[in-house]
Amino acid sequence: MPQPESRTASSVDPVLFEVIRNALVEATEEMSVTLQRTAYSTNIKTRLDYSCAFVDADGRMIAQAFCQPAHLVTIGRLVPRAVAEYEAEHGEGTLGPGDGLLVNDPHRQASHLNDVFLIAPFFHEGELVGYVANCCHHVDVGGGAPASIGAFREIYQEGIILPVVKLFDGGRLVGDVLKLMLANVRAKKEVAGDLRAQHAANEIGLRRLSALWQRYGPETLDSYMERMIEYSERRLRAELAELPRGEFAAEGCLDDDGITGEPVHLKVRIRFDGSTARFDFTGTDPQRAAPMNCNLTQCFTACVYVLKCLVDPDIPLNEGFYRPIEVVAPEGSAVNVRPPAGVVGGWEVAMRLCDIMFRALADPMPERVPAGTKGMICHVGFGGEDPATGEYYCFLETLAGGYGGRHDADGPDAVQTHIQNTQNAPIEETELNYPVRIHEYSLVPDSEGAGRRRGGLALCREYEFVGHEPTFTTLADRARFPAHGLHGGCDGKVASYRLISGGDARNLGSKATVQLATGDRVRIETAGGGGFGPAHERDPDAVLRDVREGKISRARAREAYGVAIKPDEWAVDLAETDRLRGGRR
Amino acid sequence: MTGNRFHLGIDVGGTFTDAVLICEETGRIDTAKVPSTPADPSIGFMAAVARALENGAVDPGAISHLVHGTTVATNSLIEGKTPKTAFVTTEGFGDMLEIARQVRPSLYDVHFEKLRPLVPRDLCYEVPERLDATGSVLKALDEGAVREIAAALRTHEVRSVAVCLLHGYANPVHETRVAEILREEAPELLISLSSSVCPEFREYFRASTCVINACIVPVVARYLAGIEEGLGRAGLEAELLVMQSNGGVLTAEQAASKPVFMVESGPAAGVVSANFIAGRLGHADLISFDMGGTTAKAGLVLDGRPRVTKEYEVGAQAQPGQGMTRAAGYPIRTPVIDLVEVGAGGGSLAWVDAGGGLRVGPRSAGADPGPICYGRGGTEPTITDANLVLGRLNPDYFLGGEMPLDVEAAAAGIRERCAEPLGLDPVEAANGIIEIANATMINALRLVTVRRGNDPRELTMVAFGGAGPLHANRLCMEMQIPTLVVPPSPGTASALGLLVTDLRHEFSRTRVMAADAADVAGNGFTARIRSLFEAMEEEGRRTLRREGVAATDMEFRRGIEMRYAGQSSEVAVTLPGEAAGDGTVGGLDAPALADAVRRFHAEHERAYGHGYPEEPVELVNFTVTAIGRIARPRLPRIGSNGRGISDTQRGTRRVFFSDAGGFVETAIHDRAQLSAGHLVAGPAIIEEVDSTTLLHAGYRAEVDEFGNLLVSPGGAP
Repeated sequence: MPQPESRTASSVDPVLFEVIRNALVEATEEMSVTLQRTAYSTNIKTRLDYSCAFVDADGRMIAQAFCQPAHLVTIGRLVPRAVAEYEAEHGEGTLGPGDGLLVNDPHRQASHLNDVFLIAPFFHEGELVGYVANCCHHVDVGGGAPASIGAFREIYQEGIILPVVKLFDGGRLVGDVLKLMLANVRAKKEVAGDLRAQHAANEIGLRRLSALWQRYGPETLDSYMERMIEYSERRLRAELAELPRGEFAAEGCLDDDGITGEPVHLKVRIRFDGSTARFDFTGTDPQRAAPMNCNLTQCFTACVYVLKCLVDPDIPLNEGFYRPIEVVAPEGSAVNVRPPAGVVGGWEVAMRLCDIMFRALADPMPERVPAGTKGMICHVGFGGEDPATGEYYCFLETLAGGYGGRHDADGPDAVQTHIQNTQNAPIEETELNYPVRIHEYSLVPDSEGAGRRRGGLALCREYEFVGHEPTFTTLADRARFPAHGLHGGCDGKVASYRLISGGDARNLGSKATVQLATGDRVRIETAGGGGFGPAHERDPDAVLRDVREGKISRARAREAYGVAIKPDEWAVDLAETDRLRGGRR
Repeated sequence: MTGNRFHLGIDVGGTFTDAVLICEETGRIDTAKVPSTPADPSIGFMAAVARALENGAVDPGAISHLVHGTTVATNSLIEGKTPKTAFVTTEGFGDMLEIARQVRPSLYDVHFEKLRPLVPRDLCYEVPERLDATGSVLKALDEGAVREIAAALRTHEVRSVAVCLLHGYANPVHETRVAEILREEAPELLISLSSSVCPEFREYFRASTCVINACIVPVVARYLAGIEEGLGRAGLEAELLVMQSNGGVLTAEQAASKPVFMVESGPAAGVVSANFIAGRLGHADLISFDMGGTTAKAGLVLDGRPRVTKEYEVGAQAQPGQGMTRAAGYPIRTPVIDLVEVGAGGGSLAWVDAGGGLRVGPRSAGADPGPICYGRGGTEPTITDANLVLGRLNPDYFLGGEMPLDVEAAAAGIRERCAEPLGLDPVEAANGIIEIANATMINALRLVTVRRGNDPRELTMVAFGGAGPLHANRLCMEMQIPTLVVPPSPGTASALGLLVTDLRHEFSRTRVMAADAADVAGNGFTARIRSLFEAMEEEGRRTLRREGVAATDMEFRRGIEMRYAGQSSEVAVTLPGEAAGDGTVGGLDAPALADAVRRFHAEHERAYGHGYPEEPVELVNFTVTAIGRIARPRLPRIGSNGRGISDTQRGTRRVFFSDAGGFVETAIHDRAQLSAGHLVAGPAIIEEVDSTTLLHAGYRAEVDEFGNLLVSPGGAP
């Protein structure tokens, strides 16, 4: 328990503290609503792949509204760097009201090129107070394949790189920059519309913050922002004092790097010492000339996410939350990439890091840690010339999979996991807007990792392309290395990526860009979640329910769980189950 | 009273069932409040009817108009008390309900659960068939498969079934045929078709709406039949009408077949009531603020019409700060009066968190055990306890004195749980609890106003619910809302909404088309739209006729939901114009459409800060609201009772005001003694049986000729 706030320690009014904290978050929430409602690409408006935040003049994260945990530290780490770079080139104090900085360069600690950031300084009575910023995953930023995902060797193949440039100058759009950017991307309408939405969101944020600063004044707000950071840090350290101390290690592999067939080896050692958390990735493979590398920001994001899950979810995420966290990631490794390596698979790497970090903590914290999950972002992108309009279209989505079993509950079926929480695009809307037909969207029976608490089921999506020959890409994983089971639970089923062409089916692997013919189908089955605890300890009635609902087969009930179901009624054959389980039911 | 006719409204809430009885001729109002009976709400319903008739000394046969607001539909879903329901969809998509939106309801909780589908997977059936996005048949319906499904439904003793086929919004042909076959094979089945309940695109949301309808059809039908029987026995012959989520009413028969339209029946009544109360004063733009025991609800009325949303989740409470993360409830796409509900009611709990922060809500002490001061075993301080400690509530006049309140216990609880851990004294802590609760409510008010582009300085607030008038003055001060209206009997004001609305049916069709096609003369564009509208109007006319509405009392309002081509969120625009001879409103020539598109740009700019007049616009959904007008009761105006303002005063009490920095000896007025023209200057407290109004210094309350308190800035006269 931390020391409660005492009146003598400061002049902080606990009431005003709560009021200001909520008002700041509320300002970023308003940005978020505006961005979603006015965006053009499915990726943002439906799948909610964006985030909004407010950072102070020193670049410290103060408040954020986010849909995607993936973006939770990026803005805070990127903004100070981007501003410093811009001012180093153009002179200090060159940013003014109405300016907007555009940046997407992963080697400047943005994320992958698709994530485009727009940063606007916030002035109150002529003084710089901080920055509002948002990040959107744009459906296309050029590069070697539609949706700008694919297996490329270096960043220059991945799309247009936006260093820190002004898209808005004193409130006016810098048309040349926009023109240059749009010339380099496929989905021009969506990208232009989404950039407009990003600008609108920042404007709304600035308007709300101005009202707040007028209401409370800069001195009060400065002092309360400071207190908010201290508050989060104090609460996190209090939680760290309660976590088991020691060093905990785990490792795992990505299928391949996308260029060579070599798995990418990831390794972590986590140390809790009662007041700090250290994440050391020494021993992870060196970076590859391939897409499966993440930068330090993405790596840090995964660490913050995992820690946030282990402590009281109520602790506000701001700079104070980051302070007790130390990340050691060797430069030039797959978790701290140097130019010019590819980074487009960076979130795939960061996602897998989450699974591996939870695995490291499974023994010391069995009740707080789930088994392995789908463990990948699972990007699916396609594009080509729409036969109806003659225009180039681009589409991107990410598919869910199984969650891992928990000590007291099964892993949910078909859900996004960890740093990702993007919604699915409605099939009817997708078919209305794009020349694609979806034939199946279903759970994959028997894909769960068996266990006392079973893993979640994977899902299946099958696409057919109508009247044209699109380029289709998967940038995913888990086709070779399954989601791990815990404490005696079984691994989940691996994913499969298949091209069905004229009666033939062939495996594409988890990272492929293919040119399709009219009528070709692609069938993707994602990965199931790992099980928790021995499968023979699973309640036979829970197995019965799964069989009855068609989530697992009778044969699997028998083989994996040792549960026999009577052939003529929905009931467990107890005698046979006892026999199968060796006398233990 | 013989010869007079009466209107009766019954509002069944979580804690209390309220009745409002109005005399058609004199406008006299009688009210009744009885405890709700959740196990069988019809018992509370009939008790409220009996009490109201008794209070008004009215014969059951004299009731000419009877309206009911209820949460029975929502409760049965939340409590999982729905009968066996099945789901039929296109082959390949039977897992639509299981997969849902594929997201987690909370981001950092590894112990999260996905929402349990309302239909278990073994009762989800797939049928071979397929339409494309234009509604053309790609694959014919396999009728044999439908017959097999019918047989399976009988085997499983399924009562109700939802049918939602892919692209069924574009063409109902397969869904209709499925229904025919099911009816042939299993006539006892209750069938809900997505193309009839909610013919809009985005399959999961349409399916969810349809499934919820199917789940509650048996419950609501049985409930309403039970009530009608009880009413018959009691000698009430008036046709039973039911409040819908959109603020209109419909006959019990209609409600029983499309109950998904009445999931938010109760809360909608409050907004309708606020609209009526403010409308009589000439205010068309207002905020309705309803604060009860567990939550506070804010709604918005613009131009005399409650704002309606089609993005609603059953069973999920809105909380500021939650962002866009949703999927906490079952989505429906029927029109619901847009309310932001926050966990700040009289019973909301206050505590100190692990980081030394004072927090209030959303957890609530509910009605049982309730706040500490009720003396019924509550140990955690609540907003009500804080108000009591601050002298704002009268311990001897709560519910008119029926329930004495324990000030000492409330103060001790606040001291122990909040004040000492923070190093504050109990009064400071109590004031902190109120300030934080107010901040939460202000966030809710911001959500319905500034966040949607509405300036609170141009709005009027109507505050009601037992706790609303206690907080409203302060909220208006913070939000710069110039006028506050506190109606008489705020505790039952919500039920009045049942009696001041019309029959109302909403229809919609999805047809996505470019708006600029309207510029091309002679391409049949407007004719296509017109036939869409006319088909919906015909359906509305048929429904209203069945409900006994004369043609001269019918009105049909046309609307189009538009977006910039490429966006996914639509903005609704009504087509302007005078009502034509057949009651239809909204011209359909090219200039009218162009005008509607212009207003779309303006509305988009208002809501999101930017409009893009140069960007192409798409028309997405076409809507018709069919209205059957019901005469409003004429409420009497009150005169002056001739008493001096000091005669309305009960005495004084020490009340805490933060702006004064402490307790102030404050005048306490008896609302029953106030009459038209009376002016009360703040600081003051106005007490009545079911509520207390707090008036701050610098504000005054004027009693108008309807008995409302009109609170606005200004000193003593």
